[in-house]
Amino acid sequence: MMQTDEQLMLEFQGGSARSFEELFRRYRNPVYGFFRRRLNYGARAEELAQETFVIIIRGADHYEARAKFRTYVYGIAMKQLWSERRKVMREAKAMAEPFEEDHETDPAAGMWVKDALSRMDPDHREVLMLREYEQLPYEDIADVLAVPINTVRSRLSRARAELRTLLDQQSVKGVSR
Amino acid sequence: MRQPEHPSWEEELMAYADGELQTDQAERVALHLQSCSECAGAVAEAKKLSAQMAVWQVEEAPSKLSESVAFELQKTAGRRRETRSGSGWWTRGRVWTYGVAGTFAAVMLVAFALTPSLLRSRQSATESHADLQELQLDQSQQGQEGQGQQGDSMESAISPKRREAQQRAPGSSQSSTGPMVIRMIRLTLITKEFDKARTKIETTVQDARGYVDQMTVRSNPGAAKSLVAVLRFPSDSLDAELAELRKLGQAKEESQNTSDVTGQYTDLVARLTNARNTEQRMLALQRERTGKLPEVVEVEREIGRIREEIERMEAEQKNLNNKVQYATVHVDLTEEYHAQLEPSAPSAGTRLRNAAVEGYAGAKETGLGMLLWALMYGPTLVLWALILAPLGFLVWTMQKRTVRN
Repeated sequence: MMQTDEQLMLEFQGGSARSFEELFRRYRNPVYGFFRRRLNYGARAEELAQETFVIIIRGADHYEARAKFRTYVYGIAMKQLWSERRKVMREAKAMAEPFEEDHETDPAAGMWVKDALSRMDPDHREVLMLREYEQLPYEDIADVLAVPINTVRSRLSRARAELRTLLDQQSVKGVSR
Repeated sequence: MRQPEHPSWEEELMAYADGELQTDQAERVALHLQSCSECAGAVAEAKKLSAQMAVWQVEEAPSKLSESVAFELQKTAGRRRETRSGSGWWTRGRVWTYGVAGTFAAVMLVAFALTPSLLRSRQSATESHADLQELQLDQSQQGQEGQGQQGDSMESAISPKRREAQQRAPGSSQSSTGPMVIRMIRLTLITKEFDKARTKIETTVQDARGYVDQMTVRSNPGAAKSLVAVLRFPSDSLDAELAELRKLGQAKEESQNTSDVTGQYTDLVARLTNARNTEQRMLALQRERTGKLPEVVEVEREIGRIREEIERMEAEQKNLNNKVQYATVHVDLTEEYHAQLEPSAPSAGTRLRNAAVEGYAGAKETGLGMLLWALMYGPTLVLWALILAPLGFLVWTMQKRTVRN
């Protein structure tokens, strides 16, 4: 029977590096994808994913079994992301608007979705992305973003309506071109 | 059949599409969707949107990410094993609770155990600090040499012998499989034939394939000769060599102290093996990795740190091996007639001269002391005199008038 993430993390707390390797195998691509979809540069996404795992390794003693490991991981990743965005804004460098570059790596349909997401309200976008790409339940989204679950419900509903509108506008533009 | 209730919020439909509703709620919405095309359309739209969003896929995580995390994992795994050896049930609260209670219990236990055997503890403490005493002995003897006494340190002459003996020692750098016991003996002897005894000590050490770690001979005019030596004998032949040493004179005091370091040695070997394995993994990582410069530098720094740790542990292992394979015998040898010797009385002229010198020094010290007193308290006395003088003069004048009247 497959061990849960929480069991593996507790084993890692007890000194089992093998358990963490299994956790890493499970979360390697999701965590990288989390940053990759939210940042313009793949290299920076890789660095932040690495930092996230390093924080988990070094702070393993602080993990308590009552928290879901998935929430714990994305909570750390979200803080990393906020910190990165603050840093970028401070330094006034590129990435004034997320989701602007690396278009050449995306298929056309994906690029449309990416472009529409970039124009959404940031709060709505984050809830929707956590739901659709990270596949988090409402309760976990509420934990990661530190908002009530009803807020998650309402934001998600509005986010879908907003994205639908944006995608429709794009298809209209595409047709008119 | 009654028409199911229309969901009051679109959020409920979204939650249904996301599978977030309780079973009974989901059944209710599903029933409603069968008869409400508007709500069914909203759910279908949400699912279609999810499918559209799923089109945007990103590439898999680069392999470098795995390497970086594996490196961090290796780095911290050793520390975690040491600090949290199988104590998964510990939490911070428990650590504090049990920590405080455990400390209190340990203090009480130690206090209870130590109080009735104070004298014994002092004795064992004295024995266990034999190494420290050797060091102090060496230092004090060096100091005495500096004060003009005749000393005869053999350190420089002994070192080559010691090195030779260490090279001869069977398996001096190998780990032992049996119990690891360090033996230390302290022997205080009084001999009638000092020079002969000294030669015999050196011969015994050579025959036993041991070495003289340290030896100091003192031969002051008007005092008995004495010898203090730290000898190292192979542990196997220690008893026979001790019997030889006892024949040198009358044994005034003899004490033995043994210390079992098997656990310490085993732990050291395990840590050394781990460190060597870690070093090999790091070297492999360094060879295979083509990462960024800071990461490469970090790996090299880590390799350097592990190498330093390995060398420190190897030195510790050698030291332990040496202490186990060679017992330490601390010999304190003194001539028998030491107590009978009295310094010759000085002549009358010398005594008169000494008295004159001491008298002059005493007069000089007294004069200097008076001068110092005057300088220290003089200004204060002058000040008080100036303050009290007018008052005294007034009293004197009034007294004079009274006498006149």
